[in-house]
Amino acid sequence: MPPILEIARVVKRFGGVAAVNGVSLALEPGRIYGLIGPNGSGKTTLFNCITGIETRDEGEVRFKGRRIDGWPPHRVFHLGIGRTFQIIRVFPELTALENLLVVTTSSYADARRRAEELLGFVKLERLAGEYAGNLSYGQQKLVEFVRVLMTDPELILLDEPAAGVNRTLLNELLDAVRAQRDRGKTVLLVEHDMKVVMGLCETVFVLDHGEKLAEGTPGVIQSDERVIEAYFGR
Amino acid sequence: MTRWLYAGLAVVLTGLALYPIEATGYGIRFMLQLFMWIALAQSWNLISGLTGYVSFGHVAFFGMGAYAAGILIVTLGWPWLVAALAGGVMAMALALVIGWPCLRLKGPYFAIAMLGLNEVLRVAASYYEGLTGGGNGLSLPTLYASVQIYYVMGLLALAVTALTYVIITSRFGLRLMTIREDEVAAEAMGIDTFRYKLYAFLLSAVAPGIAGGLAARDQGYIEPISVFPLITTITMIVMALFGGKGTIWGPVLGAVILFTFQEMVWARFIYLHQLLFGAVIVAVVLLMPRGILGVLQQKYNLPRTI
Repeated sequence: MPPILEIARVVKRFGGVAAVNGVSLALEPGRIYGLIGPNGSGKTTLFNCITGIETRDEGEVRFKGRRIDGWPPHRVFHLGIGRTFQIIRVFPELTALENLLVVTTSSYADARRRAEELLGFVKLERLAGEYAGNLSYGQQKLVEFVRVLMTDPELILLDEPAAGVNRTLLNELLDAVRAQRDRGKTVLLVEHDMKVVMGLCETVFVLDHGEKLAEGTPGVIQSDERVIEAYFGR
Repeated sequence: MTRWLYAGLAVVLTGLALYPIEATGYGIRFMLQLFMWIALAQSWNLISGLTGYVSFGHVAFFGMGAYAAGILIVTLGWPWLVAALAGGVMAMALALVIGWPCLRLKGPYFAIAMLGLNEVLRVAASYYEGLTGGGNGLSLPTLYASVQIYYVMGLLALAVTALTYVIITSRFGLRLMTIREDEVAAEAMGIDTFRYKLYAFLLSAVAPGIAGGLAARDQGYIEPISVFPLITTITMIVMALFGGKGTIWGPVLGAVILFTFQEMVWARFIYLHQLLFGAVIVAVVLLMPRGILGVLQQKYNLPRTI
């Protein structure tokens, strides 16, 4: 199958530091991918380059064969790439329901039906009218996750979905991610919790100092000496 | 509760419609200015209360409307109502010219640009004497139309408030709020933030432009310092903040309370009133940053329509 997302030699510099330095990777549709690496290895910056929040300095980003680097974030989103953030970015003074409603361009009735369905899907229907800022950390993460699903994107980028989420909520979240995969959607997630990565992902990419260090199944990655070195030092 | 609110509103509106029959000249002028402040505070609320992009020069649209209407009345002999509406269109055109480059920038640049815009316009109005009368000002032909202007200004205040209602209860309004809440997330969630900010800004410029045109006609004389004063921007900001920015009725409430207070105190203490006004600003910012309605909404979990 042709890749749904193709990144070729992407470079992003901040001043003299190359946060992402020539990374290439390709994602096939209908799979869950992991992106791991020590802090500062360029994972979030790579997400930002894909979604248009940062403009890459060099290289190409292709989605379904189409160049999207240089596109503004809102256009990238409507093309079918949704994302969540490492630090939660719900709209605190909008209700949970409103957080979802603002996303789609479909009719109000359709949007409302879908939003209620999605809140029910993560068992938050009771809190639909509550200001998102009043929800617990884990609940906000779930709102942010289902907000992305409003437009039913083909590719979902999750930045540390498990961080700070308790076990019960986490299992719900992971089930929801698998459900998306089973529907043919592609997921790329940044995660530090290795249990989550190893249990969920079919392929893992390892970044270190802005470069791709390794790529492979979780089993291969876990025993790769360069990866162990990057994490723990020699 | 909402039903009672609107029943009360209907009573108030009927009272205001009949008011000129019994009113004194002072009463008409007082109400006319109150309507103007409601329209101004509410307009500021549309851009700054909803999107969080603080306009420190909203009086620029007021002055633009005043001069546009004044010049049209004096040089072309346009009827004042048409001239005032043209002032609104001119203010919107000005908003497009300034918003197009400035709203692309995120952060405080917009606030600073608006502050500068007002100063530039004031200097321009002084400089182009042939058109504006320069520092000598522009005198309009004598006309007694306070009662008519009372009604038009009242309708203007009502129209902006109705527009705010429509916006806040729609997804358009919610999207404007996402810009205030988190602009990066709004962009990432598919909202074309530049376009939304620009729409809100254009809408927020119309009523001040019309109000400027009406005020010019009502006062019969305009000069650069009388239609571009920074204090007018500050007053509309304080009114909106005091009542509750980002709410439908907050700016109305703020305008009614502060303008009444200002008039009553001003009549007695000419020098003290600025001090008291300053004290109100400090108190609001420190004690009640959400304003009266903002506090009530949070405390009692009221719907956005209140």
